[in-house]
Amino acid sequence: MRSKSWLFLGAVLLWMSAAWAHHSFAVFFDSQKSVTISGVVKEFQFVNPHGLIRLVVQEKDGQTDEWRIETNSPSILRRRGWSPDIIKVGEKITVEGWPARDNSHWARLKKAERANGDPIGKPMEPEA
Amino acid sequence: MSAVGNRQMAAADAPHPRVGRAVAEPLLPRAAVHGHHPSAPAGTMAAVVRTGARAAIVAMFATWVAVAGAAEPAAAQHPDLSGYWNLSTKIPVDKAMIAALPPNTVVLEDTGAAEFPVGVYGGLKVKPKALDAAKKWNPRDDMSLSNACRAPSIVYAMQGPFPLEIFQGTELIVIKLEYFDMVRIVFMDGRPEAGEDYPHSKTGFSRGRWEGDTLVVETTHLEAATITNNGLSHSEKMRVIEHFKLSADGTALLATQELEDPEVLDNRGARFISWRKKPGEHVYPYDCDPSFALQYQSQHPEPSKEKK
Repeated sequence: MRSKSWLFLGAVLLWMSAAWAHHSFAVFFDSQKSVTISGVVKEFQFVNPHGLIRLVVQEKDGQTDEWRIETNSPSILRRRGWSPDIIKVGEKITVEGWPARDNSHWARLKKAERANGDPIGKPMEPEA
Repeated sequence: MSAVGNRQMAAADAPHPRVGRAVAEPLLPRAAVHGHHPSAPAGTMAAVVRTGARAAIVAMFATWVAVAGAAEPAAAQHPDLSGYWNLSTKIPVDKAMIAALPPNTVVLEDTGAAEFPVGVYGGLKVKPKALDAAKKWNPRDDMSLSNACRAPSIVYAMQGPFPLEIFQGTELIVIKLEYFDMVRIVFMDGRPEAGEDYPHSKTGFSRGRWEGDTLVVETTHLEAATITNNGLSHSEKMRVIEHFKLSADGTALLATQELEDPEVLDNRGARFISWRKKPGEHVYPYDCDPSFALQYQSQHPEPSKEKK
């Protein structure tokens, strides 16, 4: 009656800690990879179903590039200390996330920190 | 309707425990009034016997009422599911609840943040027409201005990693989901099933009943929506049967969600869903903003379908 494949389940659950959203995460982002980006905040939207951080990143060749970081649902982030003004335009931050599957400049937020290393918001509470 | 559906409908038709209580309540004054029978002349042996019999009957009645009265609070005090509940996948699966699922039911292992990849439906036997539709699913379509804030039905919403809040009354139980500000109303007043002309919605029409310490909720009249968030949708014929109960220590809410859709599925699906109580907290407003979809429409790369 109960059909299950633990191997498959393990693969599916790898990114479960913070990745779920209204739209399908799996088809847009790669849970097996991680990317870290530092840049200056150009825009911050704190809206459901997902927030958005737009970062201007200085590349090694001197050019600037833009990254878009999708966040989890703000209603979930609020419980982790986030608010609409927790990130200011012009502020330099570093984010770690899951990259878009086609390696474009787009990622899903895992965690973020300020220039001095302070975490932005609190880590997700482990499930009780 | 399946055998399970028939069995549950039969249970729904059974007298509610509160009916017994309502009958018992007026018996005490009636018994007291009838304690002296006007047709029995006093002083005769027959009268004595009758009086003795009446006294015995009254005593039995009084005892029965007292016992019934003592039992009333227990009957009325169903488990209190009220409060704020946060989804948790760390709570062990209740094996008895799984064992109680009807035959031909597959348990979907996608509760919480987990998702099935494209083309995987967790063991659901999908009918050809629905499968064809699922294969044509384009995730980008979900992120249009008109779709980005389109809520799923309770089929998918209940298992998501968003909290919910329960307000429990005797005639109604309200389940307020943070996800998309959804509000479910569960009628506990024994009303009949809604007719065919009753409107379909993402929360549907829900009737509940207590089976011991378990709240059983049957929901019909659901608007078509996703089952697994990867292209597979249920029809308006979907029937959801949920069993809710508290853990032994009362800190966890345990549920099975059974899915029965004769237009889409050749078998039945089920999920085990559990939540942990967090006193003092409340769900936040969701206030979905569809403008988020513009990010996907204008700049987001074509999504990969390599995880098949």
